[in-house]
Amino acid sequence: MSSEMSRARRHLETTRKMKDMLPRFFARMFERRFSNEPLAWCMVGVPPELLKAFDLLWEWPENFGTLCASRLVAPRFIEVAEGDGYSQELCSYVTNTMGYCKLFKESGEAPPESPLPGGMGNPAMLLGSGFVCEPRWKWFQSIATRFIDVPVYSSDPLAPPWDIDPHNPRIEAHYKELLRDDLHGQVAFLEKQTGKKLDPDLLREIIIRSHTALAYWRDTLALRKAVPSPMGSTDYFSAIIPQMYMVGEEEAVEFYREMYHEVKARVDNKIGITGEEKYRLIWFGLPPWFNLGIFNYLEDLGAVFALESTYNVGDWFEVDDLNDPLEVIVQRTWQRCVKMHDYGAETMPELCNPAVFGGFSGSRLLEEAVRDYSLDGAVMHLTRSCRAVSFGEVHTKNRLAEMGIPSLIFESDMADPRLWSDSQIKTRLHAFLETVDKSKKERR
Amino acid sequence: MIKALHGLARAEQIAARRDEIVRDLKKETGRPVIGYLCCFAPPEIISAAGAIPYRITGRPGDTMAEADAYMEPYGCSYVRNILAQAVKGRLDFLDGLVISHSCDMIQRLYGIWTYYRPLPYSRLFNVPHQVSPWAQRFFKRELVFFQESLEQFTGATVTPEDLSRAVALSNRNRALIRELYRLRKENPPLIKGSEMLTLLLAGGVLPAEEFAKLLAETAAEVKNRTPAGPPAPRVLVWGSLLDDSTFYRLIEEAGGHVVADDTCIGFRVWEKDIPLRDDIYEGLKDHYFLNFQCPRTDRGPGVRRFDYILERAREYNADGVVGYIISFCDPHKFDYPDLRDFLRQSDLPVQLIDDNYSFTPAEAIKTRLQAFIELLK
Ligand code: SF4
Ligand code: SF4
Repeated sequence: MSSEMSRARRHLETTRKMKDMLPRFFARMFERRFSNEPLAWCMVGVPPELLKAFDLLWEWPENFGTLCASRLVAPRFIEVAEGDGYSQELCSYVTNTMGYCKLFKESGEAPPESPLPGGMGNPAMLLGSGFVCEPRWKWFQSIATRFIDVPVYSSDPLAPPWDIDPHNPRIEAHYKELLRDDLHGQVAFLEKQTGKKLDPDLLREIIIRSHTALAYWRDTLALRKAVPSPMGSTDYFSAIIPQMYMVGEEEAVEFYREMYHEVKARVDNKIGITGEEKYRLIWFGLPPWFNLGIFNYLEDLGAVFALESTYNVGDWFEVDDLNDPLEVIVQRTWQRCVKMHDYGAETMPELCNPAVFGGFSGSRLLEEAVRDYSLDGAVMHLTRSCRAVSFGEVHTKNRLAEMGIPSLIFESDMADPRLWSDSQIKTRLHAFLETVDKSKKERR
Repeated sequence: MIKALHGLARAEQIAARRDEIVRDLKKETGRPVIGYLCCFAPPEIISAAGAIPYRITGRPGDTMAEADAYMEPYGCSYVRNILAQAVKGRLDFLDGLVISHSCDMIQRLYGIWTYYRPLPYSRLFNVPHQVSPWAQRFFKRELVFFQESLEQFTGATVTPEDLSRAVALSNRNRALIRELYRLRKENPPLIKGSEMLTLLLAGGVLPAEEFAKLLAETAAEVKNRTPAGPPAPRVLVWGSLLDDSTFYRLIEEAGGHVVADDTCIGFRVWEKDIPLRDDIYEGLKDHYFLNFQCPRTDRGPGVRRFDYILERAREYNADGVVGYIISFCDPHKFDYPDLRDFLRQSDLPVQLIDDNYSFTPAEAIKTRLQAFIELLK
């Protein structure tokens, strides 16, 4: 199995430099962990700015899942979870964590061997979020029930379905009240657990730095409209890490600023990432973290991804009034949701922030993406254990077909390499590129 | 023909011919039919707005290939089955649709269904996952929005009195259902699990008054029964949706009695009355959001969240629990290991059956059930 999998090759200096930056960050983090400072495990959807404002340490089990996947050790943890009764159909980030937790508990709270030296630490609290998917409701509930008995707060953002007008003031009030109360609930929980009061001035400063970083990130993604494509998916998927861990830090702002300027220079000088850029594609779904080299494999065939549907953290909001920093978080969540809504998020009615995950099913957004990024085709990863993100792909494929854009849906998983069948997938990718070639010629 | 039949025989006919019956009902009354899935959006509001609530059911084992053009293959097969029914035009008697956001799958079904097969009326009834005070307030507002959308569609104005009346009618049925459930405490039970489910399925298509008659007839009928056969192991069935009595019949054929349940169409919605308060929406919220137990709602960590299952098992003298889980059903699959351990610690054996909403191969399922029931003896 492992011989078929290959690690990512990055194209940007900035993303390659993460190799030095991240270990420095993690060393600092571990030092603090060793002096028993409180650690929270959290989920995407929990505003990291808030954690930073409470000066908490945090870890993302989801990200731990991607890390275990990329080093091909996820199956070891997943199999432990399966032995415990967790179905193989369940999210492999979750089962990866469950297996880890079981080994952690059985060994008397010693971290099992994993790609993260020192493991995920010993959390003092779990901060979940039902944002994006259902497994997130059950995930931390089960961890706290079975393995690590610490307080849990699960936040509960909801968004109006696709056929309800979010511009209707009553609807806006209805949803915003939930978002606001929920966020305040989260703050009350954090205040109780840490024994500290939230410092709004500090939170505001953190948010300003966070938004500055996100604005660079957004502008960088817009640069990818250029032909040839100045950066690739391997750069994209690794560049999300600083915002996850180092939010609100000057070093993170610096990272995204540098990245922006590097990509800009490449655009200005027409530097692409592959010899001849034959096909420009869009990627849907989560990447196969255990085989990110597949992106480079396609690049070598002249196919580049100009855009990815997942992890577009930081897009599409414009909050000017920073007076009440908690209200800023409410506003930006709502703005993203309304924005996606306006694009017609028909099969993703519920994701509070569809900008983050898989939200490209909005028909008008698809039209824009195809036009602005000069797309020739779409590759969709149907992740067996994550339906939350991959559901909607058939619909998106239908919509793209109406625009004359061919799509390929292939099945595998984001973290479980046992579901990857290399030769079959590659055969299908090759055949698909031929289809793209034909349709491109026909469209001319 | 159905009118000539009584009690259980009538229930069986109704359950088997649900679509035909609702079509007739629509013709007779001139009222629109609103289909619903899951249990959060109160059918009482649909009735009060002058429409016919119809609990949509799938056809277990039926082909689902028709869904492939719109929905991914990896997904709850019940949801795929329902979408296939809609695509095949088998639900074209529906004038409207309300789907509550229970699980991710159901919620995705809403988007896909209403996009590709739009109906004159459709509504996603949004439901928070927490039971926090603000989530409860959201739920209450959602009830009002739901009612307003129905009023707009049917042209009716729903007063609190109308709603109270509809609630009182369905509460009367709750009392009758509880009475029937009590007859299952006998050993052997006077009414079988498969019969009870058939009755509830028939109720999913009947107006409340009609359902009351059917329930009363059935109660009179089964009370006169003499207990059939020797006592046998008694099981509680927990798990994903069951809208077909085949699975209960397999348990019965394997030599067990289904005496209690914790699934979607079962005791869950009928066990307690809807509180009739001054504020009718407060009562509906308590019933359909707080009291109604479904693993999709976050009740916090710890095994106390399963206490009610244990209580129910004890109340009905269950010897074991059969879990029925449909493939890709996240809420239940997540709860299973916690629940299994909790029940085992309480000395209740558990047997899990994974299925793709087809109950096949029936022989293999039966063999596993037989082995479990042997163990309970
Ligand atoms: S969105 Fe997908 S990958 Fe992420 S937690 Fe949910 S099921 Fe898992
Ligand atoms: S069976 Fe499970 S996955 Fe399917 S609709 Fe019901 S709760 Fe959702």
